[in-house]
Amino acid sequence: MSHTQISLPERKRLREKKYRKHNLANILTHWFNVGCWLLLLPTGIAILSSPRLGLSPVWLQEMFRNLFGSTANLIRFHYTVGLLWVFVLTYNVLIGFRKYFIPFSRERLLLDKDDIEWLKVKPMQMLGFMKDKPLPPQDAYNAGQKLYMYAVILGTVGIMLSGVVMTFHRWFPPVLLQWAQPLHWASVFGVVAGLIIHVYMGAVFPEEKEAFFSMFTGEVSAWYARAHHEKWYWNKVREELEWEDRVEAELGEIARHQQPSGDRPETGQVPS
Amino acid sequence: MATKKRYGFVIDISRCIDCRACLVACSAENNVGMQYTRIWVKDTGVKGEFPKLTRTFVPYNCMHCENPPCVEVCVSGATYKDKDTGLVLVDQEACIGCGYCVEACPYDARYLDRARGVVDKCTGCIQRVLVGQQPACVTTCVGKARLFGDLNDPNSEVSVALKNAKAVQRLDYEKNGVDTDPNIYFINGEIDDPSIQPRDPRYTFAQESWKTLLVPAVLAGIGLSFVGQATFFAKQLMEGEKEFEE
Repeated sequence: MSHTQISLPERKRLREKKYRKHNLANILTHWFNVGCWLLLLPTGIAILSSPRLGLSPVWLQEMFRNLFGSTANLIRFHYTVGLLWVFVLTYNVLIGFRKYFIPFSRERLLLDKDDIEWLKVKPMQMLGFMKDKPLPPQDAYNAGQKLYMYAVILGTVGIMLSGVVMTFHRWFPPVLLQWAQPLHWASVFGVVAGLIIHVYMGAVFPEEKEAFFSMFTGEVSAWYARAHHEKWYWNKVREELEWEDRVEAELGEIARHQQPSGDRPETGQVPS
Repeated sequence: MATKKRYGFVIDISRCIDCRACLVACSAENNVGMQYTRIWVKDTGVKGEFPKLTRTFVPYNCMHCENPPCVEVCVSGATYKDKDTGLVLVDQEACIGCGYCVEACPYDARYLDRARGVVDKCTGCIQRVLVGQQPACVTTCVGKARLFGDLNDPNSEVSVALKNAKAVQRLDYEKNGVDTDPNIYFINGEIDDPSIQPRDPRYTFAQESWKTLLVPAVLAGIGLSFVGQATFFAKQLMEGEKEFEE
């Protein structure tokens, strides 16, 4: 990052200028997802009580069973919230498919050459090697975030499918139910492995503070965008410049059309 | 697992005549579908040589084990050992009918009710026992082959019958770290027929893959991710939060 090459007033200007990174649909869906996970993860862990698998502590199992009155109630709560989660997420994706999902996938989800390079350099830097090698400029999401997004999408589909199979168990053969359980568990905890980093980077890591607040306001400063998502930043700048050019051209056009008729000078000169 | 009461059966195999009235009584009492049964009478077949022939009938149902392998595998705790009565029960509102327990039971004492999508088995007629009655199979047994009661209570009918028995036998399964410790005692006879001995518990491929493959792999992933995060967090705490803008 070339902080030092930018003058102080310019830095101040960049910090005050905001770019919209998340739309309202994304923000609401994100926090709805968070709420559901907070309800589903503890109750889900508490359900797991096979001594042979030993996946959750006994006190947690008993606490939640006492809280809800019985195993059956605990499971009912879990799948009721789960079905709501499945419904809302599916509904949002379907309703916003053309407006949000397709553009989002096309513009923000695909890995490009820079991302591949980032994936080679960044892990090495985190381990203390290649410190002097510059990181390639990143788009609205960096390659790590993109990879996490793939994991989340895969995991979410796995969780939803296996969850629906277990909820409506009467209509599915036992062998499917036998596999749905490990699939559900592995999908959840596969996502949790990434979630640990996601929460840390989003809420605790100082350099990403703006990313955290952007999940409420939807906006990040130009300074942050330039430092962390350079490619996206310059695209934004180019879009702005293009917009300015277009507006100027249009204004010029309008001015040309308004001037003629009455105000035309007698000499017949064309206004420049 | 030590429970307050330890309800169990004492079955006098010298008195069973294979009339199967117990099967009918059980199904009627517990609304068991026609194609299923929760209890059985097993038959050793005719043994010996004429004129010295013997034939033994073995009334058979869930052993309400002290260490039930079915409870070990049940993911949600839908199958559990009741802390008050010691009976092994299925909470059918929690059960999803995956059949892990059906495979694990060394006595094949459970079945999958596909129509309802749940597992079903002998409950020791707990609805009767809790109001002071005997299970349906016990009250209906014309030969008084079946007895039921608290094995923890030395004065109960079952404990007395055990004390006075000529021979006592349990179909215990003790192998590979599994000891079922069943709560059905067969008295006054001998069951040596291999077809009536317990089988090895079967663990489904799905659950075995879960236990041996998925759990270590996923936990390793979570551990790695946590350690990575913790390292950066520790660094952040030690170095302080540099104001990254200036």
